[in-house]
Amino acid sequence: MKVEKVEFDALSRIIGHLNAISVGVKQAIKPERITTEYPRERRKLPDNFRGLILFEKDRCISCFRCAFICPANAIQMELYDNYYPSIDYSKCIFCHFCVDSCPTTALKQTKIHDVAFKDLDEMVVHTDEMINPPELLREDKITVEYKINGKLVLERKREVEDLIVDVIPVKRIEYHSACVNPQNCLGDALCALICPTNAITVVEEEGRRIMKIDTAKCTGCGLCVRECPTKTLGLVRREG
Amino acid sequence: MYQWEIKIPKKIHDTKFFGNLKIEVIDKGICSHCGTCATICPVNGIKVEDKPIYFPNWEKECIDCGACIKVCPRWDYKPLNGIGDYLEILAAKSKRFKGQDGAMVTEIMASAFEMDLIDRAIFVGRDENWKPITSIVKDIEQLFEETIRGTKYSFADVMPRIKEVVKDYRVGVIGTPCMMSGVRKLQQESGIFNNIKLAIGLFCTENFYHWQLHEFLLKEKNVEMKDAVKTDIKRGKFIVSLKNGSKVSFPVKEFDPIIPSGCEVCQDFAAIESDVSVGSVGSKAGYSSVIVRRENAKKVLDYIFEKEYAERGEVNIDAIQKLCEFKIKIHPYPPKH
Ligand SMILES: Cc1cc2nc3c(=O)[nH]c(=O)nc-3n(C[C@H](O)[C@H](O)[C@H](O)COP(=O)(O)OP(=O)(O)OC[C@H]3O[C@@H](n4cnc5c(N)ncnc54)[C@H](O)[C@@H]3O)c2cc1C
Repeated sequence: MKVEKVEFDALSRIIGHLNAISVGVKQAIKPERITTEYPRERRKLPDNFRGLILFEKDRCISCFRCAFICPANAIQMELYDNYYPSIDYSKCIFCHFCVDSCPTTALKQTKIHDVAFKDLDEMVVHTDEMINPPELLREDKITVEYKINGKLVLERKREVEDLIVDVIPVKRIEYHSACVNPQNCLGDALCALICPTNAITVVEEEGRRIMKIDTAKCTGCGLCVRECPTKTLGLVRREG
Repeated sequence: MYQWEIKIPKKIHDTKFFGNLKIEVIDKGICSHCGTCATICPVNGIKVEDKPIYFPNWEKECIDCGACIKVCPRWDYKPLNGIGDYLEILAAKSKRFKGQDGAMVTEIMASAFEMDLIDRAIFVGRDENWKPITSIVKDIEQLFEETIRGTKYSFADVMPRIKEVVKDYRVGVIGTPCMMSGVRKLQQESGIFNNIKLAIGLFCTENFYHWQLHEFLLKEKNVEMKDAVKTDIKRGKFIVSLKNGSKVSFPVKEFDPIIPSGCEVCQDFAAIESDVSVGSVGSKAGYSSVIVRRENAKKVLDYIFEKEYAERGEVNIDAIQKLCEFKIKIHPYPPKH
């Protein structure tokens, strides 16, 4: 078989050219581009997008739940003024189990997905950095969204989206430290040494050591409970 | 407001409590190397290694709480001796496990797992040079490993390992008589140690520092411990069975120069303070002699025989009694020299 040469007449040639010119002019005036011009434009993401995790120290009760649940073992609790999480982003798989399991919404999801680290060491975001996160630099002025009505179009809006999704904080249950197993106590006073508010005191008198917990001073941070080698102390709910 | 109090023991010397322990027990040479002090030390300062117990930098780091001397079986030492109280004495041999003798130690611990009496057990395995390596066992499967069974005639850090598990688990412990005394003292001092649910004592005359035993066998007997498949003491003889099938044996007496001084003041052969004691003396080859002392252990043994996990043998109580007396004779306290 032979491919025959298609012959155009003069009219259809003119129409063809005019069409091409009109498309060119139209795209020059109002382009139908469907790629985002990152970083000037930023794609709108759903509220439940699992991005970088932010931490609010005042809400954290140092329960360790995030560290326990993390399937990638990316979360380590580090001692700051109490134990707070650090996240190794080279291990994090962004499942956000930690965010979901946090009983006090201290861990918050964000739509931040474009973080740059210089090296692997830097990907470990230590507790002090979790508490004081670096400033967020944004160059985007336009939020874009893909829409499908018959064909795929990109909708641009001159607005800057809030990337941090705030969650309503839950009411904290107040605890205080208590001597729950006095028969376990070794009198080592490690609890008194670690107590940040001096709520635990130890007085030595001839042949004995008197241990006291002033529940009014206790903030229920639980450090003493963790420090005690013999489970002498426990946290109990504060009455009233 | 909570208030409670703790008794502080009396110091003999005007220094920190560990200093007192060091002067009165370790430096006096009566430390049994049981490691109980390290188990309780709240700052984890006391070290149990292949040398006398020590606490690096204790002058600074000891928090002077006094826990170590409260639990030391050799502080204010009054030697225990004799066969001790018991409910029953028997000889038996496990059908499931192979061990030093009748593998009853392993069998009792395995059955305690099965009965859900314990969640963790501390066993003493070894490296190729027979240096003890303690391991924390979680299930019966691990007990079939070859290096975990059998006797290692060297000090092991069983006691300090208790600390890793006792807060969260019910624990089974195996140890020499001094360790059994340590377990009881721990239980007196803190309720947390009531999580030790089963304490199996081993009959014991003496134990050794590994490096000294190793050096002795190499220099005096030309035996490389890595060629050994079993070490044993039978009828006053130390026997090393080698991989090539041959045996080297010599009187235990020859060990005299390397017997740790702490063992020389010990008169407890039958681990009087255990829940159940196991040894080889008093039963035929391939059987273990078992002294059942407390109800918890009795239950385990009843279970073992009900399930037919072990078969009984003949036990010679007089032979055990004799060794108890022999130990008093060879280890007078206070020491003669
Ligand atoms: C240092 C020492 C000296 C001994 N001296 C005598 C003696 O003079 N006369 C006598 O009749 N019996 C003595 N025994 C006990 C004997 O050797 C057997 O351990 C006992 O008969 C149990 O045998 P089995 O087959 O039931 O144990 P197995 O089922 O083989 O289990 C023995 C268990 O003992 C533990 N073990 C091994 N070495 C040590 C160690 N160094 N420290 C703590 N735990 C350890 C291990 O965890 C092992 O699982 C001694 C044991 C030791 C450790």
